[in-house]
Amino acid sequence: MNTGQKSEGSDWVALIKPVADDEWIVAHRGSEWLGLAPDLEEDLAYSSINQDEMGHAHFYYALLAELGDPEPERTVYGRPPEQWRNARILEAPNGDWAQTVALRYFYEVFDDLRLEGLSHSLWQPLQDGIRTIRREESYHLQHFSTWFDMLAVGTPESRRRLVNGIDALWMNLGDLFSWGQPDTWLAAMGLDNLSQPVIKAAWERRVGDKLEAAGIPWPGPVPEPLADGRRGQHTQDLQALLNVMTEVQRTDLTAQW
Amino acid sequence: MPDAGEYRVYEVFFQKDATDFHTNVGSLRAANPEMALQMARETFFRRDDAYDIWVVPQDSIFASPHDAAHLPVRGMDKRYRLPSGYDNAPHWKRFKAQAMTIEEVADDMKTRGKGGPS
Amino acid sequence: MGEDERMTDFMARIASGQRVEANDWMPGEYRDLLIKQIHMHGVSEIMGAYPEKEWVPKAPTIRRKLALNAKVQDEIGHGQMLLRLAEDLSRPYGRGREALMDDLLDGRVKFHNVFHLSAPTWADAGVIGFLVDGGAIITQAALLDSSYAPYARMLKRIVAEESFHMQYGESVVLALAEGRQAQRDMLQGAINRWWSPMMFFFGPRGMGKSAERMMHYKIRTKTNEELRQKFINRYVPRLQALGMSIPDPAVKQDPATGVWGFTEPDWALHTDMVRNNCGPESQSRLNLRKQAHTGQQWVREAVNEASRLLEREGA
Repeated sequence: MNTGQKSEGSDWVALIKPVADDEWIVAHRGSEWLGLAPDLEEDLAYSSINQDEMGHAHFYYALLAELGDPEPERTVYGRPPEQWRNARILEAPNGDWAQTVALRYFYEVFDDLRLEGLSHSLWQPLQDGIRTIRREESYHLQHFSTWFDMLAVGTPESRRRLVNGIDALWMNLGDLFSWGQPDTWLAAMGLDNLSQPVIKAAWERRVGDKLEAAGIPWPGPVPEPLADGRRGQHTQDLQALLNVMTEVQRTDLTAQW
Repeated sequence: MPDAGEYRVYEVFFQKDATDFHTNVGSLRAANPEMALQMARETFFRRDDAYDIWVVPQDSIFASPHDAAHLPVRGMDKRYRLPSGYDNAPHWKRFKAQAMTIEEVADDMKTRGKGGPS
Repeated sequence: MGEDERMTDFMARIASGQRVEANDWMPGEYRDLLIKQIHMHGVSEIMGAYPEKEWVPKAPTIRRKLALNAKVQDEIGHGQMLLRLAEDLSRPYGRGREALMDDLLDGRVKFHNVFHLSAPTWADAGVIGFLVDGGAIITQAALLDSSYAPYARMLKRIVAEESFHMQYGESVVLALAEGRQAQRDMLQGAINRWWSPMMFFFGPRGMGKSAERMMHYKIRTKTNEELRQKFINRYVPRLQALGMSIPDPAVKQDPATGVWGFTEPDWALHTDMVRNNCGPESQSRLNLRKQAHTGQQWVREAVNEASRLLEREGA
């Protein structure tokens, strides 16, 4: 396999796994909204977005399998929490609709920046996938950006709920930008734009502009994470999520379902 | 707002028969909706029958920009949500039973055109 | 045209196979029957999302999880399409989406018996896709001939989407039937739970008054018993081929007439469940819908208000 010059397979795994796990976990939590969205039309829209994310995760897991990881099914259903590399904020149980909108808007901005960075990777299969994925993600970002604006200007209640949602999330966003290891390897891959300080600064600029336009006070820089999901340091919420997720599959690990 | 002296533009939609959805066939200019309907008849249906015709003021249409954020273009694999994404027939065969298709079920239910009970 | 003449004309059109559109003149009784039928159909689709929704987070493979997400989403989508039709018909009464959804929460519109029941295993989720969707496909395919054109059109679309549901449900059931003994036992358990409710699903042998009036207006064209027989005829041989037993010894085909026998379901129990929302999961699922609808009225108010503000700024 040609994964571009100089880069080791393990570097590609370190690059792709957090992306894959973010997409899977955000989609799992998102799919818990099925049947519960504020109107029927949004139920349909949000479900498609979560299916898209699951599809993206599946694509990344298949790439990881090419790099020597187990098959996607094993990777999804067979890992203990400490082997997951998703950001901690994504594993938390869903808040109300305003908090969900805030989380998804924050995540989609981050994912947009990350995909932009990844599109410069030198591995063709990844590049090809990213091109397709970005078509879907541009809609996801647009969707939650619209929702964010609506709730920000809608009613005093929607605004209060949105601000509360942002407050609840803000302190825990830190490891979103982390790669779980020092950034030096990214430079070696020619992907400096993905390094923690660069992507975080870009994210803060874009989200800062949005908050300013909405007249919501800037909560300050996102604090450094106290624990890092990218290093497998997770909350109890991930264990609980995985317990539910694997409930059927665990009854017979080798059966066909 | 229409320019002074200009008729308003109406988009014309038609249904071929009762079980079809409306399709856009073009647009025309007319001074009002009633005239637009009458004009649509000979502008677009000189040869074809129509079950129903709509005229919609063009400026009432909110159209999608042609970008990925607005238009669904299926990129990633979506076979999981298509009937063709499943091949159950060989499995049924193992049990010596026949696979079903929805077309067959629908056919079985048809009464129209079959002289079925009224 | 006088009222009598209109009525005669209307019935003649229906008799000749013509269809009725939303803005056509229609007898009040026809409108009310349509609202009753389509409203009930729509909310049943929405309530039908919940039993399977419970299994979305637990789906045992990536593909099953994707498919089940898509299927539950489709049920909500069918509910959306059908409610839109019921809303259009209800316009003369000044009632829209909010009112029609409130009817469900306040018990003024009923939903199908099968969605009041619990789905305790993964096999139940599969059997819902197989038998319940199978039954729904039969009843919906029979409505493709409906005299009300918007309903027939939307059903054409719905039935096309159900094709995926059918393949998905079969696929899950086949995997369990081909699987380990524990999986086959789980499947048999689910079939045992759902068989009798499915017999109720098609309604009583003799049709009620409003069902008869719907036949009169060709809103529907098949009797309950015709549909139930089609269902039994399709699914019994297939379940038996899978080596599953039908949990009703009375299910036998009369060789002379081809008519299938079956044990009467507990009509009183299921009727009570539907009428009074007192099935094992009626209240918990209505609570989910209430949480979505009433609990998030603030969201709908906010987007309405925001849209008004933005429009004013734009103007």
